[in-house]
Amino acid sequence: MENVAIHEDWRSRFSELAPGLLLFARQWVRSRADAEDIVQEAFVRFWRRNHAITNRALLYATVRSIALDLIRRDSRRARREAEAVSESAQVVEPEFELVDEAQSALAAALDRLPHDQREVLVMKIWNELTFAEIASALGISQNTAASRYRYALAALKKIFQPQ
Amino acid sequence: MNDFSEIEQELKRLRLAQPSHAFLVRVGQAIADPEIGEDKIIRPNRFRRNWIALGVAAAALFLVLAQISMRHGEKQSERIAQNPAAPETRSTSANRFIPAGATQVVYNTRDEGLHFTGGSEGPMRRLRYQTHQTWQWRNRATGASLRVSYPSEEIVLIPISGQ
Repeated sequence: MENVAIHEDWRSRFSELAPGLLLFARQWVRSRADAEDIVQEAFVRFWRRNHAITNRALLYATVRSIALDLIRRDSRRARREAEAVSESAQVVEPEFELVDEAQSALAAALDRLPHDQREVLVMKIWNELTFAEIASALGISQNTAASRYRYALAALKKIFQPQ
Repeated sequence: MNDFSEIEQELKRLRLAQPSHAFLVRVGQAIADPEIGEDKIIRPNRFRRNWIALGVAAAALFLVLAQISMRHGEKQSERIAQNPAAPETRSTSANRFIPAGATQVVYNTRDEGLHFTGGSEGPMRRLRYQTHQTWQWRNRATGASLRVSYPSEEIVLIPISGQ
C-alpha cells in the first residue's frame, strides 16, 4: 500500500494534488489564502496519520470537513458561505489559467452552477475522482453523484450549446 | 454520457492555476513540524472512563481519609479517657485535612461540527466542554480549609452513523 508517510517525493505528490485540492477548497472560501490554509491542514493531517495516498475519497472528505469546520467557526465566514452556496448569489471564482473569452465564460458559468453540482464536477473533472470516490467523500450514493454530474454538464451544455 | 463529451472536453481544457512555491514550502515546513496538536482530544470511551475513574478515586480517597480520621478519633478518645491532658495528640490531628468536596461545573459546551479523525472511516462530531473544577479539604480540628480551583477543557468525539 502506498503511504504518504513513507513517500519520499512528497513534494511532487503534493504538487500533483494541490491544484485540484485548492480548487475544491475554494468552493467554500473566497480567498486563495483561506483555501491554502484548508488544503495545508488537510494534507498535513492526512500525511501524519499515515493514510494511503490512494484513499482520495478520504483526502477530499478531509478537505471538505476542514473547510466546513472553518466556516462554521467563524460567523463572518458562515455568512460568506451562505452567500457562496446560494444559487442566486455571486459564487466563488475558480482558479484557472484562462486563455480566451470562451474559457472565461465557461469558468463564469461553472460558478453559477448549484453548489452540490459544482462540487461533484470539480471532483470529477479536475481531480479525476471516480463516482465511487465522490460518493464516499460526500456521503452520498454513487447514483446521486452521477446525477449531479450529469445535471451540471447539462446545465453547462445548455449555456454553451443552445439548441 | 456521450452527449456531454464535448462539454467535458471543454472543461478539461481549463487549466488549473499552479500553487505558489511559497505555499509548497509552507506545507513542507508544516509536515516537518513534529507538533501534533491532538493531545487534548479525548475519545468518548476514554472520556467516560476518566470521569468514572475520577469519581471513584475521589470517593476512595475520601473514605480512606475519613476512616483514618475516625480511627484516630477513637484512639484519641481512648487516650483522653486514660489521660485527659495529652497535648501531643492534638498537635497531630490539627494537621489533618479531610476532603470536603469536589465539584466540576460545565459552563460551556460547543458543538464544533463534523471531523474526520485518524483511523475513523466516518465523520465524528466534536464537542468541546469548558469546565471549572474545584477540590476542597477541611481540617476539622482547626477549621482551616484548602481549596484548589482550575479551569479545564475537554474535547469529546462522537462517531456519527448513518446519513
